[in-house]
Amino acid sequence: MLEVKDIYFHYEKQKQDYRYDFSLGKGEIIAISGVSGAGKSTLLDLIAGFLMPNKGEINLNDQDILSLPPEKRPVSILFQNDNLFEHLSVNKNIALGVLGNENSNENQAAISNALKDVGLENFGNQLASKLSGGQKQRVALARTLLRNRPILLLDEPFTGLDEKTAKDMQALLKKLVKQHKWHAIIVTHNKYDANAMGAKNYVMKNAILQS
Amino acid sequence: MLLNNKRKILANSNRKALGIIIALSIGALIIALFLAILNVANIIPLSAKSTSPDIIHLVRMSTIQALLSTGLSLMVGIMLAWALNRLEFFGRKIIIALFASAIVTPGIVIALGLIDVWGREGIISDFLQIFGIGWDFSIFGLFGILFAHTILNGAFAATILLARLEAIELQKLKIAQSLALPPLKRFLLLDLPTIKNTIPALGAIIFLLAFTSFPIVLMLGGGPSNQTLEVAIYSAVRLSFDLKLAVQLSLVQLVLCLLIIMPAIIFNQDNIRAGISSNHRWQENGFSKFMQITILIVGIFAFMLPIISILLNLFSMEFFALVLRPSFWRATITSLTLGASSAVLTLFIAIIISQAKIALHGKISKALIALPLYVYLIIPALVLSLGFYILARQLQISNSIIAPFVLILGNTLLALPFAVAILAPSLEAINKRYNKLLGSLNLSSLSRWRFVEWPLLGREIGIVLALAFSFSLGDLGIISLFGTNEFTTLPWAMFQASGAYRNNDAGIIGAILLLIIFTVFLVLPVIFRKFSNVRS
Repeated sequence: MLEVKDIYFHYEKQKQDYRYDFSLGKGEIIAISGVSGAGKSTLLDLIAGFLMPNKGEINLNDQDILSLPPEKRPVSILFQNDNLFEHLSVNKNIALGVLGNENSNENQAAISNALKDVGLENFGNQLASKLSGGQKQRVALARTLLRNRPILLLDEPFTGLDEKTAKDMQALLKKLVKQHKWHAIIVTHNKYDANAMGAKNYVMKNAILQS
Repeated sequence: MLLNNKRKILANSNRKALGIIIALSIGALIIALFLAILNVANIIPLSAKSTSPDIIHLVRMSTIQALLSTGLSLMVGIMLAWALNRLEFFGRKIIIALFASAIVTPGIVIALGLIDVWGREGIISDFLQIFGIGWDFSIFGLFGILFAHTILNGAFAATILLARLEAIELQKLKIAQSLALPPLKRFLLLDLPTIKNTIPALGAIIFLLAFTSFPIVLMLGGGPSNQTLEVAIYSAVRLSFDLKLAVQLSLVQLVLCLLIIMPAIIFNQDNIRAGISSNHRWQENGFSKFMQITILIVGIFAFMLPIISILLNLFSMEFFALVLRPSFWRATITSLTLGASSAVLTLFIAIIISQAKIALHGKISKALIALPLYVYLIIPALVLSLGFYILARQLQISNSIIAPFVLILGNTLLALPFAVAILAPSLEAINKRYNKLLGSLNLSSLSRWRFVEWPLLGREIGIVLALAFSFSLGDLGIISLFGTNEFTTLPWAMFQASGAYRNNDAGIIGAILLLIIFTVFLVLPVIFRKFSNVRS
């Protein structure tokens, strides 16, 4: 269980407090919507460790994660773009920070399997810059698969994708979250994204997260 | 609709026409200077024997010195930018601003500061003597030249490279941090691809700055064996009155500078721009952090020590005696008047050329209009000054009449490439964002400037004015051929005092010069930003 308990946060030059309080079970997805600047992405930064709350707790299976630095948190992130290093191959991008040496037989097999799971077998040697927007998101998802961290944070991952690619990605994500029992939080402007993924809907209103 | 389009086209045409006229005028002036130099070469055949020193030696010395300076400055710049990018500490912004001021710190001040600190009778020597340790180190010679160039150009490189590192996409940085990339991998995957496109152009600029460096080589060279082309040109005109030799050396210098800068312009893939974009700081721990702190302390120590030693002269006992002299006030008023004039002229020309560059279509026409801007990079200050000097003699105009105009024009030409590099990208961004809206509103060129461009460009205008003013105030290249006892600027007065072994006077003038330059460089952009009242 991921518990975000009574979190308060405010930016240095702002008086307003952003407030978050919710919990999320394994294999569950919540979708957060709200206007620009409402504090949706702030929540992801707080869970990922890029921001520290002024008050409150974040626990995963009763273990505190706030004390951990970003690189040690049990978190994978997927942004709208810039998830990959464009000058590296798909294989290298997936292995980065996940596997020691991507050339060993064992790791090669793991990368191939992850690529197969996201429908991109045979793309391993391609440069990331040569991929389409949807393919890049899938490669980032393949890396997430290999990292297999229990919390998945998605910051508007479908923005900029065409309708069919977005639908395919939503179906794939829904399947992988259930299969790997991840706790997934998706920030989106679009309620259809949330419904397509079977997510619980939350909205940021007056700087408070409301169901 | 048709009327709207007509006005829009007219506004654009005005901007293009004005830009082309200004660019052509600068081009014509440069050709006139060049012809004046060549004319002297024709009157006195270049093959004729002169008091020529060994040109091969001068070229070799200039090249070796510039190559070493470039390598060391880039290395120091990368290390400082790396450390500053990683570390978060109180006063970080002040340290960055201090390193950024290296571009306007006059070479003559740094040279004098280094002698004050590292010389045989300097601060370090005095300090060691307390413990009975002798100091047998000489700051003069190749080492001193490299030291001074590395301090100034290393700090300049650090500012440029730091701006590139701080502009790495935030999301990419967050992904890399959450993937826990180790320090070396982070540098190779995130930093190196970001700065590698900047290195060739930055290297070429540093090479040219070192190759054409004048006051540092003159003051720290320590004799003919370390003389460079630039100093030899000065000696030929001012000391041996050998105009023919000066022309010979200038032509060699011009060809070499052209050979260096052309590939850098052609293959340049990057706009060298300064600016801080990201507040997210991913700090490292352990050995990396230790190295970063060490590098920063050494960097601050090396850069600040000569500057502090010069600034301490403000508390000298002889301070009031010097500032009460009429000659000092003459030099100060001349410097400030020339600085302000060339700053305003630089801004005016830079805006017109930037606007025309945006209004023009096609890469070739855009490149052609910007061509006169490369004057500074191709023609060193002293060669430019020599051109004016010869032209004035040919036109039989007295040096004392023409000198102020030469200084204003010359310093404007030197500041222009930097001014356009700062203004053009911001103007281009405004154009991209609002062009359709502006077109539909049917605004004239003047209204467009008054209501949209000026309010949005306040900070950049402040930077351009501060930069051009500071360049002019610290110039010793152009004044070196026109300076007299009657026509004196602060750097020239400082140079003369230093040459006459009046080191205290030189130090006090240097301190005042630094104080004015740092104040203007740091305060003017802030005032203009507030004045324009739009930018956050």
